[in-house]
Amino acid sequence: MKIRMKRLKMIFWADENGRITPIRFLMKQDDASVIKVGSIRVMERKEEKLAGNRMLIFVCQSVVAGQQKVFELKYEIATCRWFLYKM
Amino acid sequence: MNRKERIILHIDVNSAFLSFEAVHRLQHGATVDVRKIPSAVAGSQATRHGIILAKSLPAKAYGVKTGEASWEAKQKCPGIVLIPPDYPLYMCCHRALVRLLKDYSDKVQVFSIDECFMEAPGMLMKEESIRFAHRIREHVRQELGFTVSVGVSTNKLLAKMGSELKKPDAVSTLFPPEVGKKMWPLPVEDLYGVGRAAAAKLHRYEIHTIGDLAETDVKLLSYLFKSYSRDHGQMLWEYAHGVERSDIMTSGPPTKSIGNSCTVHFDVEDRETAHAVLLSLAETVGMRLRLANLCGRVIGVSIRKSGDLVTYSHQVKIQSSIDCTDAIYEYCRRLFDAAWKGEPIRGLGVWVNDLSSSGYIQLSALEKDWDEKKKVDRTVDAIRAKYGPFSIVRGNFVQSGLAPLAGGAGGDAGFPVMTSIL
Repeated sequence: MKIRMKRLKMIFWADENGRITPIRFLMKQDDASVIKVGSIRVMERKEEKLAGNRMLIFVCQSVVAGQQKVFELKYEIATCRWFLYKM
Repeated sequence: MNRKERIILHIDVNSAFLSFEAVHRLQHGATVDVRKIPSAVAGSQATRHGIILAKSLPAKAYGVKTGEASWEAKQKCPGIVLIPPDYPLYMCCHRALVRLLKDYSDKVQVFSIDECFMEAPGMLMKEESIRFAHRIREHVRQELGFTVSVGVSTNKLLAKMGSELKKPDAVSTLFPPEVGKKMWPLPVEDLYGVGRAAAAKLHRYEIHTIGDLAETDVKLLSYLFKSYSRDHGQMLWEYAHGVERSDIMTSGPPTKSIGNSCTVHFDVEDRETAHAVLLSLAETVGMRLRLANLCGRVIGVSIRKSGDLVTYSHQVKIQSSIDCTDAIYEYCRRLFDAAWKGEPIRGLGVWVNDLSSSGYIQLSALEKDWDEKKKVDRTVDAIRAKYGPFSIVRGNFVQSGLAPLAGGAGGDAGFPVMTSIL
């Protein structure tokens, strides 16, 4: 997996305890084309507090551009932004 | 040390501003760790705040020093990466560090944005205290991503001196029996409380190491430093012996002085502009005084010359304490006019000390009555509290190119960046 750190448009759901789960996202490529990824399976969730900034990390699996891939998503709590961290 | 004792730790973030920035960048996907390349955090050269605030170890190897101008750093190391400061990020890191330390002990003293003292819970043996310090060092690195140096001892002075012994990411002990071996060979300017002027004075008397200072007659030191404060010489002698008795202050030290200074983005060469800068500083100082419910009797002005960057100052003690912006400005203007020798100015500073509570002011029949102006201050403070500091500014700053409120680090203003009280 390589570090990408791309901003995403994300649909996620939150349960009554505030636990969030990514469902599907949309990512703009450098050539302005768009990749849509759905049916995300979360395999692991972690939290980091580097530099005092809380981020939730999701290790996920899904089909990206016709291929089964493992990737990491990051959710920055302070800014409510989603990132494709590694793929 | 074979028995259990009260243990004090000094936790110091290594190359703080640069480390904070490095971790923040890595968290946001950077592939280069700026701590591992020649880099430095430096203010903007365009506004002439271009001095090095923190540097990486590779930059240090090129001879780059904290406090020097960024153009000097570029001359020494042409490929150096200069990063602008980000105070909100530093405050976020600082708060996270304090929160983490408070999980270990409720006796944590914030000493500066990147330094804390803490008292280990209970009494510990030497080996236990070292293990405890390593646990904290490791926890900070794992969770927050930056490294700290931890000094371990039985008082704040030795813990602070101890954390300087080994960097980065290290634990060093400096217990009283180790003072002779570890601290006395160090140059005297490394001792906390010995500044540039004090060091020059001590060198004139052939006092070059902390050991030399410890062996000097305390009466001579008291005589040498009588102009500093009554017991400064005695204090330095005690420090050289590793003696320091203050407790961990969890609520912050009492405010002794409130002041602000600024670097102007052009050379100030005329009196009117200098007065305008003093007014903008007086605005900030006055606001901070009133916010803290304090007022002061000693007003001072410092002037930083443009060429050699030497600073000189002038102060006055007045009859009754003041907190009124216009009153502070009035005295600053007089002080400036008396002190300024006409040379181009790089920066100015304003301070008020000899503080007391503004609830009890001794009035003087000889001083001007500032009652009307104080009413204006109260109104302006209320507007600024509600709508922000720049919601109301004085008309003479409009189109002047000068900040209507000068001084402070921005973001969480009023943070104790430097203090001389342990």
